[in-house]
Formats: sequence, structure tokens, C-alpha cells
Amino acid sequence: MLSLLILIPILGATITMLVSNGTIAKRVSLLCLSVVVILTLYIAREFTITDGHFQFSETYQWINLIGLDYSLGIDGISLPLIGLNMLICWLIVFAYDANSHRARSFLALLLLANAGLTGAFASTNVLLFTIFYELELIPIYLLIAIWGSVKREYAATKFLIFTAVSGILILVGFLAVGWFAANPNPTFNYESLLHTNFPVAVQTILLLILLVGFGIKTPLVPLHTWLPDTYVESSTSTAMLLGGLLAKLGAYGLLRFCMPLFPDAWHTLAPFLALWGGLGILYGAFTAIAQKDIKRMVAYSSIGHMSYILLAIAADNPLSLVGAVSQMVSHGLILALLFYLVGIVEAKVGTREIDILNGLMNPIRGLPTTSALLILSGMASAGIPGLVGFVAEFITFQGSYTQFPVPTIMAIAGTGLTAVYFVILLNRTCFGKLDNRTAYYPKVSGVEQIPALVLTALIIWLGVQPSHLISWSEATAQVYSQYTVANAGLMPIRLDSSQIAIK
Amino acid sequence: MLQAVNQGLLDTIWLIPIYSLLGAALSLIWMPSLTRRTGPRPAGYVNLVMTLLSFLHGLLALQAIWGQPPLHWQVNWFSVAGLDFLIPWEISSLTVGATTLITGLNFLAQVYAVGYLEMDWGWARFYSLLAFFEAGMCALVFTDSLFIAYVILELLTLGTYLLVGMWYNQPLVITGARDAFLTKRVGDLFLLMGVVALLPLAGTWNFDELAEWAKTASLDPAVITLVGLALLAGPMGKCAQFPLHLWLDEAMEGPLPSTILRNSVVVATGAWVLYKLQPVLLLSPVVQSVMIFVGSATALGATLIAIAQIDIKRILSYSVSAYMGLIFVAVGTGHTQEGLLLILSHGMAMAVLVMSVGSVITNCITQDVTQLGGLFSRRPITALSFLVGTWGMVGLPPLGNSWVFQSLVSQLWYEQRGLAFLILIVNGLTAFSLMRLFGLIFLGKPQQMTERSPEPLWLIVLPMTVGAGVTLHIPHLLFSWQIVNDWTVFTKHSGIALVMSSLVGLGLGLYLYGNTNIMKPVRLPSIKLQDFFAYDFYTPKLYKGTVVGFVDLFSRFADWCDRHLIDGASNLFGLATIFSGESLKYTTFGQLQLYVLTTVVGIVVLFLLLK
Repeated sequence: MLSLLILIPILGATITMLVSNGTIAKRVSLLCLSVVVILTLYIAREFTITDGHFQFSETYQWINLIGLDYSLGIDGISLPLIGLNMLICWLIVFAYDANSHRARSFLALLLLANAGLTGAFASTNVLLFTIFYELELIPIYLLIAIWGSVKREYAATKFLIFTAVSGILILVGFLAVGWFAANPNPTFNYESLLHTNFPVAVQTILLLILLVGFGIKTPLVPLHTWLPDTYVESSTSTAMLLGGLLAKLGAYGLLRFCMPLFPDAWHTLAPFLALWGGLGILYGAFTAIAQKDIKRMVAYSSIGHMSYILLAIAADNPLSLVGAVSQMVSHGLILALLFYLVGIVEAKVGTREIDILNGLMNPIRGLPTTSALLILSGMASAGIPGLVGFVAEFITFQGSYTQFPVPTIMAIAGTGLTAVYFVILLNRTCFGKLDNRTAYYPKVSGVEQIPALVLTALIIWLGVQPSHLISWSEATAQVYSQYTVANAGLMPIRLDSSQIAIK
Repeated sequence: MLQAVNQGLLDTIWLIPIYSLLGAALSLIWMPSLTRRTGPRPAGYVNLVMTLLSFLHGLLALQAIWGQPPLHWQVNWFSVAGLDFLIPWEISSLTVGATTLITGLNFLAQVYAVGYLEMDWGWARFYSLLAFFEAGMCALVFTDSLFIAYVILELLTLGTYLLVGMWYNQPLVITGARDAFLTKRVGDLFLLMGVVALLPLAGTWNFDELAEWAKTASLDPAVITLVGLALLAGPMGKCAQFPLHLWLDEAMEGPLPSTILRNSVVVATGAWVLYKLQPVLLLSPVVQSVMIFVGSATALGATLIAIAQIDIKRILSYSVSAYMGLIFVAVGTGHTQEGLLLILSHGMAMAVLVMSVGSVITNCITQDVTQLGGLFSRRPITALSFLVGTWGMVGLPPLGNSWVFQSLVSQLWYEQRGLAFLILIVNGLTAFSLMRLFGLIFLGKPQQMTERSPEPLWLIVLPMTVGAGVTLHIPHLLFSWQIVNDWTVFTKHSGIALVMSSLVGLGLGLYLYGNTNIMKPVRLPSIKLQDFFAYDFYTPKLYKGTVVGFVDLFSRFADWCDRHLIDGASNLFGLATIFSGESLKYTTFGQLQLYVLTTVVGIVVLFLLLK
């Protein structure tokens, strides 16, 4: 079943390359993605929500010599992310203009990236994960380098170098893990690695290697420098893919591998990681305030928001881990919506400069619906209740607070700064007076609104009815928190007050 | 039969916020495209119907719950990892009564807006936001959970941003909306810190259980002080208390009908949360002192500022801050009953005041009091309503605030005499300030802007007079609820002092501003002092010099670091790679002898090192 999720897009990519024009290619890709979306829904329906372990497992021997198996499985961490992957890719293809430049190749690469992401999220063999992780790099590189804007080659190369370094570090880390766990053959099976106890020194070194590897991808400050350039230079579709999905791969790695494989080292480093997360949140927010380009602002906001996940994983209790997974999904939805709307603004108005844009909320000659949705997505990102961002952030805060009060308070302050830059953004772009001489913008068609409306509906729905988001990962979070909870001996809530160290 | 109806009304009480939400959703259907076809008005009418519905439901339910014990029930919103996010409801005569106040005032404000915003195209946005506020406030009074209260306060902050930003074309509106949002958000986020920190300590967010817990809690004083201060910041932001008060002044750029609601009940949301949180806040003496200090500083300072303003709406808005400050004092000193009554009587009186100045603004076009005057003969209804509002605000029997102030003064006289004086002074100054406003608008000679100024459309006059009528009937309500029953309190020292302070304020105001022989504007002896009040204690500069300046500077600094240090390091690495590659390529010169020589030298060096 899971293999189908990977194979169908790959098959689709092949067909897309063979057909004669973009329109057919778009239909084919949309069909493929619709099939996998339905399959994902089916899987979600069959998924046992109370079971925190891998389900739908598939294992085939592949290269025994080096311990590489083709083994897949999903649990409460990967299922929401796979769902997010399918949804966002579907929306990207739906919104894609079939007549644009080299449409067939674009769609094919997008489908490949989709397959790579699904593969990475579903792998239960660390080597297989690395293969998918590297595999998805190539289509993304091309997507940036071919369809990007002016400085696309610089951005694509920067992305390639950074991500390749990250890939190499992860490969090195995983090879070392496999060899240390060897008895006598190296093993890369995730579940058997989970039950291997490494010496603390080894754990620490390997954790640091993987932390940098996944930290580049997430990205964590100061390893983020590829991100603003890449996001800004990418086309709207690629930016949605990068911001909505790819960044999650790094955070996923932290949660899936770094924390449970090296519990002792993780527990020792956790205070620093939490602080790192808190600082990253503030750094991303402060830097975003100073930006003049909307897309760049959103890019920096993303840096801040990914750091919430680090904080949540560092706190490592059931509540905060649910918060981490929810934050990945909610951030994916919100960021995809933001990039999509910024794309519309750029396409219709022709600029992304905060100092030039003005008065888009004008009901007659502006972009009223787009502005309204922009306000909504900005507020969702700033954590206004009733929208999905709040749920994820609040659970993260409540979960992290008992262990790390100071970084949590930094994170809450960070949401305040998030509000600052979104208010700047909204005041400058949506509010204000439309310039009568230049305001001859093309209308936003109904079809163009659909992806934004779908994402908005999800953001509101999951914000009002959070259990539809969080219940997927609850059981798995319980399981995962037990990998280190034995050391911590802490439960998330209802502590007696003596355990709170706020001073 | 009646019992069944009453039971049904109470069982469906949760519909009250839902009607309003539904109204908000219905209004939103009038997007620009539909508005072009039908005009903007239907959006307002549907909302009026929904608001009337929730008002009537509330009124009937109030009859049903009167004298009954409070009902409690709770709904599970969601639970995660053993933590339940509950929505507990508390249905008592107090909460149902509060919703009728809210929905009633909102109904008046909406009727008023039909007249006031006659020519506006943004009805859909405006009415749906008013309905959103109504829903939020009704849900806030019904809920018994700090967490849900926080959620609602945060949502109302967003509502304020959109409502103040209604006329988003104007630069002052944009900055006003921004400042309102950010200032309130600062308060909200401190409140969020408090909410997050309180759960591990108390194990609950329910106000009832928190009060129980507070009775026996023994905590590290430092912890509970920090938590208490964080919790206090939320109400401070909502109630526009120093130093988070500037937003209310700037929010006056929004449409006037929304000001009716804002100045009367929206600001009181903070006071309500304060009242609910009182047992927790009083756990720490530091928090208690801060609460009283902030309240009294705001009460006195804002009243003084109000006297120095020339914008009608701003004069009123500072009085709102001041009265909220008095509520802080009342709650901080343990007089919650008086605090609650103050919400009611101040809310009604302030609504009438705002409606009557709105009635002036709507056809005199200006908000600047120096351009008004001599309206009494032209606008008797408005003038009388304004006087009723003034009467309701100050401590002059028998209207609402006189009972509250008398009770506070007589009790505080023995507890903290300074605060009793403070209330007398604030009362006197408010009386002066409102009479000044009255004199400037209605007395004196007509000016250009007021020459032709008839009473406006009945849609504006009607809600105003109805509001005035309700204000006049508040003592009747107080008597029938048996909250007060004794007229003789006004013959006690405290009562006499209170009446004296009101009369002195009113008389002085009338003398200075009703008298054409006295030069306007009346000046303080020191121009510096006058500017200090007129420019709002220079708070904008204070903000700019501290928080705003810091965020601005630090964000630039972070951006600079990001561009030059972090990105610079990676670019430098790239450059270094290219440079070393470029230079190393010259080592490939192709002469075999030199390669051999290099190898030999290398081996020799290695051998030497080995030794």
C-alpha cells in the first residue's frame, strides 16, 4: 500500500515526460496525485489511531550486504506529514498553469519530489531514508534552477551545496550508527536501532553530526543561510513545496532519529537545544521585522517557526511531541498559503516590495479576497486562537514550559514579534490607499482562489476542531516520549509546584 | 408550562453567542460583488435581527434564572496527552445579565450605525465585526475557564485591529489599528505566559477551582508574583491602563458606532477577567499593590489627560481608562461587588455620552471641541442625553455611580484613606472634564461649524434617548435587585464628601466653560504642564524610546548580522573555495621533473619529521 504512494507519482512523472503537451501533462499529474490523495485518505481511515507503532509495514530484502532493506511503515508522526505532502502537491499542480515554460518537466520533477518526500517519511530503514532524502534533492535543485527568478542559479547552487552537506552528514551519521550497532553485520533497520544502547560518548558525537545535518535542512540558526535566498528566488509553486514540505524533513529527522536513537545524549543536551530553539525563534522574528520583501519576510518567519519544533522535541514529553507534529503540519499549511497568496500578489501587482505595495484591500480595484486571506494567514501564523497555528503553538508551550520555562517564555515573546511583522506586512500591503495611477491589476479568477480557499478552510477547521489534527500523533508521541522519559522522570502536567524552576 | 419554557431557555442559553456568530457569518456574505448588487444595507439588517434575537433570549433567560442557583456544565473542546481543554459554562443571573447588557448595547449601537454610517459601503465588514465582538464578549462572560477567556481576549484583539482599521485608507487609522493590536497583544501574551505557567501550579484553569485552590495554596512567593504579574498584564492591556493605555486613544480613529461598544463594554472584558482572577492575583501582595497602583495612577493620570484634550472622542476615551483604573482599585482592595456595578453603570453612562457626541459629530463634521459651541438651543435632545450621561458617570445621587463611589469611599476610608481621596478626586475631575466638554459643545456662542446643526436622523436619536432612559433607571434596578436599599448613606460623611466633590467639579466646569466672559482656551499657569497632559504624558515618545525603539534597532541589527556575518561566512567560504581552486590550478604546470622534485622534497621532509 505504502509503495503505491511512492510508485504512482514516479509512474506519473514518467508519463508526464512522454506526453505531447502541458495540458495533458497537467491532467496526468493531477490524476496521479488525486489517486494518491484518495489512497492516503484510505490509509488514514484504516490507520489504528490508538497504536503508536509502525503500521502498514512493508519489508523487502534489497542489498543484504550493506543492510539496506526496502522497508516502509507509518506511524502517527509520518501519517500527518504524508497527508500534508499529498495535499500541498495536489494544490500546487492544481494551481499550475499548463501553458507555462517547460510545463511537462516541471510537473514531472514535482511528482518526483512528492515521491521522494513520501519515501523519506515512510522509510523504516535509515539507509533507505537517506536515499530518499538525497533523491528529493535533485528535482528540487532543478525546480529552483530552471523556474526560479533572477538570481536562481546562485540560490540553487547554494541550496544544493548546503543540502548536499546535510545529506553527507546524515549518511555518515547513519553509517556510523549502523556499524556501532553491528552484530556482526551492520544493521540499519530503524526499529532494531531503537533497541540498541550506544555508549553516551558515541551517542553525543553521532547526535551532533546528525543535529547539524538535519539542522541545515530544518533550518536552525545559524545553518539557515541558504533558506531566504532559496525561498525568494523560487517560483511560487517551488516555494510552497520548499516551505510547506521540505523544511519538515529536517524537523522530522530531529524527531524521528536524533531524539529516540540517542536518548541519553539528547537528554543531556536538551536544555541547550531548548535554548537554541528559543533563540532561533527570536532571531527569525527579529530578522523578519527588518525585511522589505514580503517573500523574504515570510522566509524568515519560517525560520522562527521551525524553531518551535526544536523546543518541543527538546522538552520531549507526550504533550510537547504532539505539539511538534502539529506544528509541522500547521506550519506547512500556513506557509503554503502565505507563499501562494504572495505569489498571487506578485503575479497581479508585479512587486513584492512592502514599500511599494499599498491598499490591496480596496474592494473594487484591489485584491480584496486575497487581502482578506492574507490577513487570515498572517494571523494564523502569529498564533491567533481559532486557527490551526494557535493549537500547535499552545500545546508546544504548555508541553515545554514545565521542563524549560525560560525558552518557552522566549518562544511566547517570539509570537508577539511574529504579530509585529505581520502587522507591518498587512498594514503596508492590504491597508492604505491604492495608487490610482497604477491600480490596473488583473482580476484573480475563481480557479486561482481555490487552492487558497482550500488551505484556509483547513486552517480554520483544524483550528476550531483541533482533535482532527492532534489525535493522529497522540499514541506515537506517548511511545516516543518513553524513549527518554525513563531518564527524565517527568510528566507534563500536574506537577507539584516544587518542581518548577522558574527562578 | 412556564417552567418548561424557562428550562428550555436555559438549556439553549449557549445559543446566545451562536446567534451573534451566525449574524457575523451572514453579514460576511455581502462581499463586494453582492454589495454591488444589493447595496450594503441588508448586511446590517440581518445582523440587527440576530442581535435582537440574542438580546430577547438573554432577557427571557434572565427572568428564568433569577433567584436560581447558578448552572454549570462543561463541554470538552479537545484533549491531548491527558490534558483536557474544557469549555465550562457558568449560567447565573450575573452572567446572563451581563450578556443582556452586551447584546442590548450592541443592538443600540447597531441601530445607531444604520443612521451614522448611512453613506458607508463597508457595512458587511462593520456589522460582522460588531457581531463578532458581541459573540466573543457573551462567550467570555459565560465561560468559567481562564484558558477560554484568554482565547477570547486574543480573538477580540484581532477584532479590534480589524474594527479600528475599518477605514483603512487613512494613515491615522492604519497606525491606530496597528497600535491597538500590538498593545493589546503585548498584554495578551503576558496573559498567555500566565495561563501556561498557572496550569502546572494549580492543575486547573477553571475560575471556580482556581479560587478554591487559591484558598489553600502555599507557593514560592517569587513564582506566584511573576505568574500574577503576567496574568495582570492581560486585563491591563484590555482596560487601557498605564502604560498600555495609548491604544484606546488611537482607536478613536475607528467608526464612532463601534466606539459605543468599545468604550462601554469591550474595555470591560479586561475588568471581567480581573474580577474572575482576583483570588489568584491576591495570592501575592506585590501583585495586589501593583494592581492598585496601576489602577490609581491610570485613574488620576487619564482624567488629567482627558481635561487637556480637544478631540471629543479622546476626552471620553481617557475617562474610560480612568474608570477602568477605578475598577482595578476596587478589585485590588477586595471590593469586587463595587467593581462589577461600576462596569454596569459606567458602561451605560459612557454609551450615552459617546452616542450623544456622535450625534454632534455626525452633522457638525468636526471632532475638535474648539470649533464647536452654542448647540444647546439647536440640539436639546442631544444636550439632555449628554447631561444624563454625565450624571450617570459622576457620583451624584441617585444615578448608578453614586452608589458605587459612596460604598467604596465609606469602606476605603477606614482601610486605605489615600484611595478614598483618590476616588473623590477622580470623581471631581471627571465631573469637571465632562462639564467642560458640555460647555464647549453646547454652551457659548455658535461657531461656523455649529451654525446649522439640527438633531440628526431618528436612527441616531432613538438609541441615544433609549440609552439615557436606561441610565436613568439604573437606580431602580439596583433597588429592585436589593443591592442598595438605603437612601440615608448620602447623609453620611462619605456621601456628603462625594456629592460635594461632584458638585465642585460640575460647578467649576460650568463656571469656566459656560461663561462667555472667560477666554477660551482656558490655560494652566504652566504651558509645559499643560503640554505634558495634552500630549498624553509623552507616552508615544516613551514607547518610541523604549520598546518600539528596541525592537526596531534590534531587528536591524539581527538583519545586519544575518546578511553580513552568517550569510557572509557562507559566501566567504564559497569565495575561499573558488580562490584556492583558482590559485591551485597554477600548480598544474606539466613539467615531470618538477613533480618528481616535489615528491622527493616531500618524502625527505616526512623522513626528517619521523626522526
